[in-house]
Amino acid sequence: MKSRKKKILKIGAILLIAGLLIGGGTVLYMFNMPHRDVQSTSVDFSITASQLVTEYLENPSQANEKYLADDGDSKVLEISGTVAKISEDFNGQKVILLKSDTDKAGVSCTFTKETNQNVSNIQIEETVKIKGVIRSGASFDPDLEMYENVIVEKSDLIK
Amino acid sequence: MKKVSFLIGISAIVFTLFAFNTTGGKLVSSKTHIKFFSHTSVEDIQANNYASVSTIDQATGDVVFSVPMQSFEFEKALMQKHFNQEGFLDTKQFPKAKLKGKITNLSEIDFSKDGSYNAIIEGELTIKGKTNAIKEKGTVTVKGNVISTASTFSIVLADYGVAFEKGKPSTNIAKTVEITVHAEYKPE
Repeated sequence: MKSRKKKILKIGAILLIAGLLIGGGTVLYMFNMPHRDVQSTSVDFSITASQLVTEYLENPSQANEKYLADDGDSKVLEISGTVAKISEDFNGQKVILLKSDTDKAGVSCTFTKETNQNVSNIQIEETVKIKGVIRSGASFDPDLEMYENVIVEKSDLIK
Repeated sequence: MKKVSFLIGISAIVFTLFAFNTTGGKLVSSKTHIKFFSHTSVEDIQANNYASVSTIDQATGDVVFSVPMQSFEFEKALMQKHFNQEGFLDTKQFPKAKLKGKITNLSEIDFSKDGSYNAIIEGELTIKGKTNAIKEKGTVTVKGNVISTASTFSIVLADYGVAFEKGKPSTNIAKTVEITVHAEYKPE
């Protein structure tokens, strides 16, 4: 009789500890959840820079609905286009602008410290394919008095 | 003879126009950094954005910043998700924030001479579709042909419809957050 009570107590204690561990683990995971690894996420859309810009200029709200996500984990795109400009941002990340001469706007792709080196040999006018996450679309801004580019970040070159 | 002086006159006018264009044009920057910082006794939160576009018009003193909201990066992924969501900044609905201002003491800034100049910017800031008037101090730095602008100011989140009554956000996020803005403009 006594041993049975002990057994129940033991099982109860184990269950309680397991529950605490799982619960605590979940809370800890949520709190320290890693950022989404864009490069290991599958591509949602494969598109040319021109097509993407055109979609945004023709119907911005429809394009936002298609490409942007509520929680900021927006669509992962594979974009092909012609390199029009290579620069670097304040965070030391390479920025490649894909834009054809005939388009009003282009797609600005920011790389990361890890992927920077992959674009060191890229030349202006070269045609490349870049994978990254979209942050915002292209549009004409009346205050800037210019067309704004689509912004893509966490980019890497696709061979 | 009349023809010649006429030609000289025309070329003089054209030349002046061009001269004005090169010294008084509008400069564009896509090399920018915008940071926001929130301090409470519970925790400090900061986020960085390197993807904004800015213009400065040396002739009129107009300064514009267009900020892609989903480009704000946080240390913690969960915070970043929250930031983007509907109850916070609702970045799918409002993908961009905008600062639109005018330097009111333009006469004190010499864009053709190296130096650091204090600037007063008056205008409006639009976040999450809500616009408020701002008047802030900043600096304009001229070094060779590179012009930089910088400013640090505070905004009240509730002014832009970002307010938390209860729960963790109400204790962990400051009611007033500090915004730091920096841009570098180079002629193309």
